[in-house]
Amino acid sequence: MSNFSILKGEYGTYVETLSEALERGDESGFFAAVDHIVHMREPKMFAEIRKLTGDLQKALDRFSIESRLADIAEHEIPNARARLTHVINMTDEAAHRTLDLVERSGPLAERTAREAGVLLDALGAFRERAPASGFEGIARAVEAFLPVVRALEAFLPAARTDSEQIRRNLAEVLLAQGYQDLTGQIIRSVIKLVEELENALGNLTRLSGGLVEHASLGENPSAGHGPVVPGVTQGEVASAQTDVDALLSGLGM
Amino acid sequence: MSKDLKFLVVDDFSTMRRIIKNLLHDLGYSNVTEADDGKTALPMLQAGSFDFLITDWNMPGMPGLDLIKAVRADEKLSKMPVLMLTAEAKREQIIEAAQAGVNGYVIKPFTAETLKEKLDKILGTGK
Repeated sequence: MSNFSILKGEYGTYVETLSEALERGDESGFFAAVDHIVHMREPKMFAEIRKLTGDLQKALDRFSIESRLADIAEHEIPNARARLTHVINMTDEAAHRTLDLVERSGPLAERTAREAGVLLDALGAFRERAPASGFEGIARAVEAFLPVVRALEAFLPAARTDSEQIRRNLAEVLLAQGYQDLTGQIIRSVIKLVEELENALGNLTRLSGGLVEHASLGENPSAGHGPVVPGVTQGEVASAQTDVDALLSGLGM
Repeated sequence: MSKDLKFLVVDDFSTMRRIIKNLLHDLGYSNVTEADDGKTALPMLQAGSFDFLITDWNMPGMPGLDLIKAVRADEKLSKMPVLMLTAEAKREQIIEAAQAGVNGYVIKPFTAETLKEKLDKILGTGK
């Protein structure tokens, strides 16, 4: 049976009643038939309206997700990029600052150690001397000790100045580590953005009903993957230098 | 004489280059030049009289692995000792680097002792 014959079956009698009532001038009969026909259409109409409402809701959801995504893409991603670049700059600056201080402290410590060594040698040589006896012997011993005293007099203030400088440099190294707090806060805010982006994209994919094709980024195998990230990096990974050494010696290196 | 060796340190991060340079200095090697990726390093290697190459893997432009392959393919440079100093730690990568012809492979983060040990081993200057 065609659609039209179903319609004829469903509505035929009422249409007939309707036209008869019209012919007879039967007003109440006419409206009763009209009401009946309208009543028959209602469930279908409601279903249509429900469907339309659903579609509208979906469109609104999609619109709100998409406008949020547009906002993220337009403002927050460039923002996040700038913030992450700032993180690199801050870590770079802190590392260079620390390296500066280390490079400046090393020679000071080295000089103190070297001069202390020279003094120790001089003291050792003095002890090795033949024991002094008699007035002249003691006078010679004092004479021999004088250069050691002079060296000590030169060494001690220098050692104190150098040690104080090293101490100050270390205090600055300590302060330079403050970058961890600041960069940590920035990175955390970017993680939050990534999380929001993940949710929005997930919702969008669901609304699209899986119409989105899965495409993976092509990776240049020789470019490298970057540092191992625990729980993220997949495959067999060397966790220490000993693993690398074992693997390479297994290869005959 | 070995202390006069001319090193080229290739890494895209200036801090890492500085750390390596300092460690080499502590080991008595003071002739150290820097490059920030394979693309800048290769012409330097071809033009200069470097004795030793220390390179990172993951760098923009030309990655370390490609640099090593280019070095090994270059007749003049093919025998140059190469130490890879990198955060790349996947098993297949280490094997790939070995096949490309590295003389040593050190993963970051590394210690001064590890660096010394590998240098000594490659140069035959260890005890």
